[in-house]
Amino acid sequence: MHVNVWGEVIGSNVGKFGLFLIGLMVTLAVFAPVFTPYSPSEKTGGKAFAPPSAEHLLGTNDARQDIWTRLIYGARTSLAVGFGVSLLSTFISVLIGGTSAIFGGFYDRFWMRFVDALLAIPSLVVIILVATYLRPNLLLMIVLLSALTWPGGARVIRAQTLSIKERMHVSAAQTFGAGWSHILFRHIVPDLGPILVAMMIQDARRAVFMEAGLSFLGVSDPSMISWGKMMQFARVFTYMEIWKWWLVPTGMALSLTLIGLSFTGFAIETALDPRLRRGQGGHGTGHDIGHDIGHVDGHGGD
Amino acid sequence: MRELQAQNQRSRLKLEAKAAKAKLALSEFIQLRRVTFFSNYALALFIILTLNFALPRLMPGDPFQAIYGEEALLVITPELEAEIIQRFSLDKSMTEQFAAYIFALLRGDLGYSYYYSEGVLDVILDFLPWTLLLTGSALIISTLIGLFLGITSGYRRGKALDKGLLALLMFLNGFPDFFVGILLLIVFGVTLGIVPLSGAITPYSGFGGINLVKDILHHLITPMTSLVLVWISTTYLLARNTMVTILGEGFIVTARAKGCREREIEYRHAGRSSLLPVVTSTGLHIPHLITGALFIEIVFSYPGVGLLLYNSLLTRDYPMIQGILLMVTVSVLIVNLMVDLLYQKLDPRVNNAR
Repeated sequence: MHVNVWGEVIGSNVGKFGLFLIGLMVTLAVFAPVFTPYSPSEKTGGKAFAPPSAEHLLGTNDARQDIWTRLIYGARTSLAVGFGVSLLSTFISVLIGGTSAIFGGFYDRFWMRFVDALLAIPSLVVIILVATYLRPNLLLMIVLLSALTWPGGARVIRAQTLSIKERMHVSAAQTFGAGWSHILFRHIVPDLGPILVAMMIQDARRAVFMEAGLSFLGVSDPSMISWGKMMQFARVFTYMEIWKWWLVPTGMALSLTLIGLSFTGFAIETALDPRLRRGQGGHGTGHDIGHDIGHVDGHGGD
Repeated sequence: MRELQAQNQRSRLKLEAKAAKAKLALSEFIQLRRVTFFSNYALALFIILTLNFALPRLMPGDPFQAIYGEEALLVITPELEAEIIQRFSLDKSMTEQFAAYIFALLRGDLGYSYYYSEGVLDVILDFLPWTLLLTGSALIISTLIGLFLGITSGYRRGKALDKGLLALLMFLNGFPDFFVGILLLIVFGVTLGIVPLSGAITPYSGFGGINLVKDILHHLITPMTSLVLVWISTTYLLARNTMVTILGEGFIVTARAKGCREREIEYRHAGRSSLLPVVTSTGLHIPHLITGALFIEIVFSYPGVGLLLYNSLLTRDYPMIQGILLMVTVSVLIVNLMVDLLYQKLDPRVNNAR
């Protein structure tokens, strides 16, 4: 690739803003204990439903827990799910999509048939059904979401690998007798670079949304601290003032995480798309981007 | 001379035979394509059926209990239990159980809901029209607004209006629909009190005619607006991008050169050409019509399939949950299949693309 993708992402306002939001959330999540004196499940000494004060930045909830503390610990769950799913799902995509392109033949046809079938299934409803039975904790949630996220990526990776494998350095490696795993991970994956990152960010965005949605429905492990679950509990008390510092900040945290991810993804795809390089660059949009965002917007209904 | 003619004829015959062979191969090829094409859908359906069948039976304990949930056991009489066990062959081997399950589905028997004391399919069909009303109207309105904003924005690429719209809509796109729904509900329903808090019609109002329509629209407006706000950006981005691409093309230059007015170029020349991809993408969204409003229906207690699913989760009405999954899958598969078939008719290139 003759384009400095990362330079362009950091150079564009959209990219800067997206990366800033992601950085903010990661900082809050990683250093959560630094930003609060309480632990998330601890019942504090104050009253229930206390309004914001110096001791409780966002007040307390019905169980006298500090809302701010739960908010920043909730970021850990969301980001862990997003990060975990993007890694696992992209790994499966690369493995299946890449090997299908390299081997071809029956193996390729088998997997692509399977991928097409999975893509035709409405994943949101399937995952709700499975989650209802399994009540997934963090790890299982990552596995479940990945199991339904990888097929779309596998198609992209396969298409890209088909063209990359014709390049000189790959055939050179093949001439020297390199095995498929060497070719896939040493020659093809590095060439995929920015596309992989764009895919991972999209997967992460979808996973964060799905985790919040499932927790909002109440079909995840009850002991998990999650933004979706906080909104679900807070929703019951909308007749009181408390929604202003319980529901709204939680929803905003979730929204800002999603916005951070989609802005960063948008910046990467803009930098990757050759059609957007002419004219005034930097804030263009691509057909694929519109389509991809729409894809995410189906909220898994796809 | 004669020899030459004979040779000519022979070679012609050879050619014809070759052509016939090729034709046969082509028709075989198309048939094969069609078979693999349908097999996609058959495989997807099979995966769902297996999942639906296997999940409750993989759970620890009695499959009867897992299928119907612990709560249902309290209301089931021994006779009914015996009948269900017999109907689904729960005391037989797995193969026989699977066969019984498939045959029950073929009879249209999705199971029986103890919460609603009605067949699962009947209950779903009661809730489905509301979902289609909500998502259908939201899809149409968001497409129209998105198209208009996209044309406006793309025509003024780089200007303040374009930048503002792009930032605003990308920002809106980041908000999860249920959060937007809750905010609208709190602001317009709880605080201002100008829209109803839940449901799709006022119960026991006895409205008829025009009043009934007004009542339905009054209940529809907030959930629909939430969906429209979140969905708009898809159409907007697509229309804007298409505009940007089209504006560089020759026929726009020609239109300018012959002195068309700006408005005419914006809407009649460029805007019209950006319609096609938008229509295509809206078509691709049709399969989401059933599940697209899931969270919104829950937030607004709007009596659609999403709310039905949520209530079934709360009451552990397992046959209902499985029935909804099956219904949704089958309808999504049917719609996908129809869209695919339509595409092959509309664009022959799709046929050879796979």
